[in-house]
Amino acid sequence: MAAVSPAYAVTYLSLDQAQALMFPGALLTPASKILTAEQVAAVEKGSGVRMSSPQVQAWRSVDGGWFLLDQVIGKHELISYALALDASGVIRQVEILDYRESYGGEIRVPAWRKQFVGKKSGAPLLLDDDIKNISGATLSCRHITEGIRKMLAVYATALAH
Amino acid sequence: MKLKKITLAAASLGLTLAVTHAGIASAADSTTTDAKTQKLEEQIDSLAQQLNALKAELNQVKAQNQAIVAQQTEIATKVAAPSPMENLSLWGYGEAYYSQPIHDNSKSQADLARAVFGIGYRFDDKTTFNSEFEVEHAIASSEDAGEMEVEQFYVDHQINNSIALKAGLFLIPSGLLNLKHEPTNFFGVQRNFVETFIIPATWREGGIGAHGDTDIGIGWDVGVTTGVKLSGRDATTGLKAETALDLGNSGAGPLAATHQELSLANASNLSQYLALGYKGIPGLNVGASVFTGKAATQDPTVNLGGQRVTLWEAHSRWTPAKFDLSALYARGTISNTGAYNALTPGAPNPTPSAFNGWYVQGAYNVWQNTTYRLAPFMRWEYYNMGESFSGLVPGFEPPQAGDRSLSDHVFTAGLNFYVTPNVVLKADYQTFSINEDLSRLELGLGVAF
Repeated sequence: MAAVSPAYAVTYLSLDQAQALMFPGALLTPASKILTAEQVAAVEKGSGVRMSSPQVQAWRSVDGGWFLLDQVIGKHELISYALALDASGVIRQVEILDYRESYGGEIRVPAWRKQFVGKKSGAPLLLDDDIKNISGATLSCRHITEGIRKMLAVYATALAH
Repeated sequence: MKLKKITLAAASLGLTLAVTHAGIASAADSTTTDAKTQKLEEQIDSLAQQLNALKAELNQVKAQNQAIVAQQTEIATKVAAPSPMENLSLWGYGEAYYSQPIHDNSKSQADLARAVFGIGYRFDDKTTFNSEFEVEHAIASSEDAGEMEVEQFYVDHQINNSIALKAGLFLIPSGLLNLKHEPTNFFGVQRNFVETFIIPATWREGGIGAHGDTDIGIGWDVGVTTGVKLSGRDATTGLKAETALDLGNSGAGPLAATHQELSLANASNLSQYLALGYKGIPGLNVGASVFTGKAATQDPTVNLGGQRVTLWEAHSRWTPAKFDLSALYARGTISNTGAYNALTPGAPNPTPSAFNGWYVQGAYNVWQNTTYRLAPFMRWEYYNMGESFSGLVPGFEPPQAGDRSLSDHVFTAGLNFYVTPNVVLKADYQTFSINEDLSRLELGLGVAF
């Protein structure tokens, strides 16, 4: 489990810390994938979000759950976040690992991230709809929401079967 | 003997029978072998077909593998190639309007109000530079109304996870609009009047500050900056505006012409600010701020006793379900204006002792998918740029005849249609209670990336 993300300005959690927090005591096996062009197209169609790379950073837990790592742009800097899915693809937890913007760091407020818990592929996951916005951090909120919508589509397309 | 013959005969018969049987059996065996051969041939054919299918599949998998290797190489190359652009960020925003006064179509105007481009650079994990450059009204020259401005120019340095320092020309954290003034972030073609006249958005000063947020949702921002220079206002000209667009661009707000924007700013007195906000509950944002400081010395030979300029505001935005509700109140005071106004007795545009404004606004997401969003809104606002005065000639109260009222109630109804989250088309209808003839219909295009 080498560090996948580079060191950012504000590192709230390292990769190892995030994995230990989201899958306490569980063995995680690297299960990263490179999606085929057809899978990328399916993810983009299903989520309405463009995939910047076909690479999916994933780990599989012994109980069938998934730890997914992803990066999105906040306003113009990268935000690194992790998603824990249970064996049926339902979101158990969302954690922010690194945040580089000068403003908008409120996305790490637990109450905002809790809105995603229980969602699965097919949920609307739209800002100002089923996901409430943090005013003043709109871009970070929108891009994390889109990122999660994309990762759930990745799960449904390439990991669920 | 006889028995022997019989036995021989029987044996002979048996032999004959046996031979005959063998002959029959041999014929039957030949038939079975043919069938088997045929079956084997069929099986071989089937296997050959399967083999061909497998070969095709193998070729397909090989091709896929090659594609994946090519993709991986491409990714590796992308990751490996260092670029000077890597640490650079570019962004921008802008807005264009069409504004038509309801009562006088001949005064309709269209304007590229703002075109702003930002450049940022990350020096290391902790230190960044941000800047924004703005052209107002499309052309900036001595013969045109436009201006070229540096809107932000500062360095931000992260001390730890909860504290960062900034220095340079940066935005004052006041109200809902000032820090987030891109057209995609507010309802209505134009910015509201309260955050134009009372809070002088886009309000920036030069100085140093510290800011941060906590994981329970409390944010803070505190600093020392350049402040207000009262002589920036022209006391001898009253508020004139032929249209609402003129009014918005008039710079009539008490702080609009007096804040210094780090343009050869008088820094003999500095101001301080403090802003606190709470965003710990999803969809809720409450905050307040105060900015205070002595105005820059006007003329050292005249003792005016010093004017302290203070602006405070409280704001709240709440987005339950598909609603987007916000409210803001702001009030400013300037002390010792009596002595200051006495310098220009009877002037039509004296400096107020107090000014204030508020608005309430509600919007609703009528329709939204992953790309489009349609949100109608309504806003009711009140501004008063001359709540109170002191040091005026007895019997004189602005505005003078022919000048615009310094206060008004403005009602705006309209809609924002987001083509993408970065591109918004806007339309609204705006009515004024006192300056009735300023009522207008507006269309706008806003972009931010």
